[in-house]
Amino acid sequence: MAQEADFKCLRCGNSFRAPYSPETEPQERACPNCKSNSVRRVKEQKEAPGKK
Amino acid sequence: MTYSEVENVTGYIGNFKVTIRKKARYVDEKECNACGDCVKVCPSCTPDEYQMGFSTRKGIYIPFPQAVPSSYLIDMKTCLGNNPIACAKCQEVCEKKCIDFDAKDEVVTVDVGAIIVAVGNDVYDPTELDEYGYRSYENVITSMEFERLICAGGPTEGHFIRPSDRTRPKSIGFIQCVGSRSKKRGNPYCSNICCMNTIKDTVLLKDHYPDTDVKVFYMDIRAFGKGFEDLYMKSKDEGVHYVRGLPGEVEENPETGNLIVTVENTTTGKIEKHELELLVLSVGLLPRKDSDVVRQLLTLSRTSDGFLMESHPKLKPVDAPTRGVFLAGCAEAPKDVKDSVTQASAAAARANVILASDKLTVEAITAHIDPDLCKYCGLCVKVCPYKAITPTDRKKKIAPQVIEAACAGCGTCGAECPFDSISMRHFTDAQIYAQIDAILDTNSQDKVVVFACNWCSYAGGDFAGISRLQYPVSNRLIRTMCSGRVKDEFVLYAFRKGAPVVLVSGCHFADCHYIDANRQTQLRVEKLWDKLEKNGIRPERLQLEWISAAEGQKFAVVMKAVEELRQKVTAEEIEHTKEVLAPKPKKKPVEEAASSA
Repeated sequence: MAQEADFKCLRCGNSFRAPYSPETEPQERACPNCKSNSVRRVKEQKEAPGKK
Repeated sequence: MTYSEVENVTGYIGNFKVTIRKKARYVDEKECNACGDCVKVCPSCTPDEYQMGFSTRKGIYIPFPQAVPSSYLIDMKTCLGNNPIACAKCQEVCEKKCIDFDAKDEVVTVDVGAIIVAVGNDVYDPTELDEYGYRSYENVITSMEFERLICAGGPTEGHFIRPSDRTRPKSIGFIQCVGSRSKKRGNPYCSNICCMNTIKDTVLLKDHYPDTDVKVFYMDIRAFGKGFEDLYMKSKDEGVHYVRGLPGEVEENPETGNLIVTVENTTTGKIEKHELELLVLSVGLLPRKDSDVVRQLLTLSRTSDGFLMESHPKLKPVDAPTRGVFLAGCAEAPKDVKDSVTQASAAAARANVILASDKLTVEAITAHIDPDLCKYCGLCVKVCPYKAITPTDRKKKIAPQVIEAACAGCGTCGAECPFDSISMRHFTDAQIYAQIDAILDTNSQDKVVVFACNWCSYAGGDFAGISRLQYPVSNRLIRTMCSGRVKDEFVLYAFRKGAPVVLVSGCHFADCHYIDANRQTQLRVEKLWDKLEKNGIRPERLQLEWISAAEGQKFAVVMKAVEELRQKVTAEEIEHTKEVLAPKPKKKPVEEAASSA
């Protein structure tokens, strides 16, 4: 099953989930609400322990 | 050079070096006269791929009747073995002593000036379409299998029979668009050839067996092209029954092996059932799976349907984006024999232009590396979509060099270079900084700086203009050849100069004029969003849009949207941005721009 990640549209502020795989990045994405391509992946806040 | 594989390609237009593996045939093709004595004694047997598995072939065989050279080869996967030699009956009977079990693959390197990619296509496997019963019912076959069955050189020598009982079917149905024109299953595109192929098959059937009842189930018949409509009419006149509607279900009568096809005839609006003795699925075309190897070797790109992308759909339809490489046949898109021959002829002519020239004209807009500023990081080599930059060596302090014949001038290397050692002719940093200055020198709070790529977004703006679409005057465009040219420093400089909003705009991923340079744009913008956020600046103020040359409407919509965003940016935000992004003492782009101007 395809991995998914959270994304946020930087035009309309819409948050949504979309398929995401680090191996195939970057991918062209569009906000399902306003069709903008200014779509930013919402990264996890906490980093792995021991990571700089 | 047949029975060979390309392993590596280096170099550039006019100077390619191609490494080819000539696979061992185990039969001397110069001596073999295809007498066939070896085949008679060969004990090993396997399904014949060329005959779609309807017949078998031996371990020693000629792949297909028209193979060049017309000599046998041994398939070692089927042969009983050559190490140690397990059988060697073929060797014993070969009078000309052509067979050599010790033959090895040969790797050769050839220098060529141009390359034509004609890798062909695969066909759709309809197994996933459960409703048609392919692989469940013996008498459901594909159009490719039909071709073998009706061909005089096929497994039945042209005697048309159905697989289940080897009798001639008296009623035959064709289902169109199998694996084509569907967004849910198969492929969304039209495979171009299936309609005419089926019409040809129906005419062939009626010519050979006039008493056969032939039905075609279709969405719509696409009989464009010279003589195509005539053939369609001929097929109808000969009594072929065309039913407008694709079947929803196919069932088999287990006693007779006949197939019951349920279809909604959209012309009459009625559900119909048709009993047929054979059903042919008119399968669509797919890009070749192994074409990806060639794609990577030649730094080509694909369109969204998976076929190789041409340099320009109208002006350079046979040129690949990599200079000196040309496309022919179904490598570029599904096409019939006539179109393939036309494109192949055009590709050969285009290649000949290169081969006949003593000198080549390079792009005016290319990159130039200043070796004195280069720190040998190799980033430019990594991001160049054309492999047009020679490798660097940090230890030996060898700076990379731009192969101008291969450089297409996207500017990605210039944008990525952290040491400003790469300049783009006609799109220098100084020129772009000067444009930003010109836009933002007065009333900067009322402007949106828009970086637009030459081929798509800027052309989209033109299209919006000629379409009389209105968009706000606050948007000020800076043209770059590719969005990949937009350096992060250009964006930051615009913010430092007081830009409320910056938009970076380029081609859609599948349309990039520079193979995949706009992927670097996206990665760069993503880093910039992070950087802005880290500095307390709303990342929303940097927008990214992919706009094609045909999307004038989208261009206007985006321009209005960024204007709305601009109006929400406060004067305090702009001042804060200027402060936090204040230039470091070393970098003085304003002075650079001024001095160069």
